[in-house]
Amino acid sequence: MQPSVPAAPAPTAKPSSTHAAATATPKKATSPPVASPPVASPPKAQPAPATPAAPKPPSLDLNSLEQRLKDTRAIGVFTKLSLKNQVDDLLSEFRAFHKGGAKTPQSELRQKYDLLIIKVLSLLQNGDPPLASAIASSREAIWGILMDPQKFANI
Amino acid sequence: MSTRIGRLVFAALVLGAASWAVADASNGRDLQATIVLNGHPCDQVVDSKRNADSDYTAACKDGNRYRVFVDPKGRVVVQKL
Repeated sequence: MQPSVPAAPAPTAKPSSTHAAATATPKKATSPPVASPPVASPPKAQPAPATPAAPKPPSLDLNSLEQRLKDTRAIGVFTKLSLKNQVDDLLSEFRAFHKGGAKTPQSELRQKYDLLIIKVLSLLQNGDPPLASAIASSREAIWGILMDPQKFANI
Repeated sequence: MSTRIGRLVFAALVLGAASWAVADASNGRDLQATIVLNGHPCDQVVDSKRNADSDYTAACKDGNRYRVFVDPKGRVVVQKL
């Protein structure tokens, strides 16, 4: 459904600048005073701020997240084991998906993945907010690994 | 001297009871989260009984009762009673 995550931030910066330019032009049209000469210079300055926004994607350390989940006291032993069961079930569905004999379509896998993430986040949000936010920010990166057959094989 | 020992014993008993209560409450939350995670309704666990290792009976505030245990395959099972 949403495979291209890293490409998303860069385009978003450009539309906002184009919106700004679009909103600026009507104002200039309504106001008769001389405003046309400075319009040429702003478009050259706009691409520069878009590049610093690009290196935002968080680095994903799956092993660290897994260890933090194991160590956290926000979730009890039974709950952790139950979550592990559900993670294992979902991973076996991904395995079947990559093997080609998939009963579950990608859209359904995404739904199940989202649901599981929400469960984890709801369990952690009060007891371990830093871990909850770390998992939330890694959500798309983890999905990227799950959907990439080569990366998935290395899990 | 005997009164001092008596106070120490009393303090130990109180602290022991308090830590047991904390453990019981966290166990209740763990059971409640497990029950809900497995798709069953349970607003709060008000009573729990340990049947064996990794085997509990939990009573929820809404009246539902469940057996929560780990089966030989390592899966958490929630059975409505």
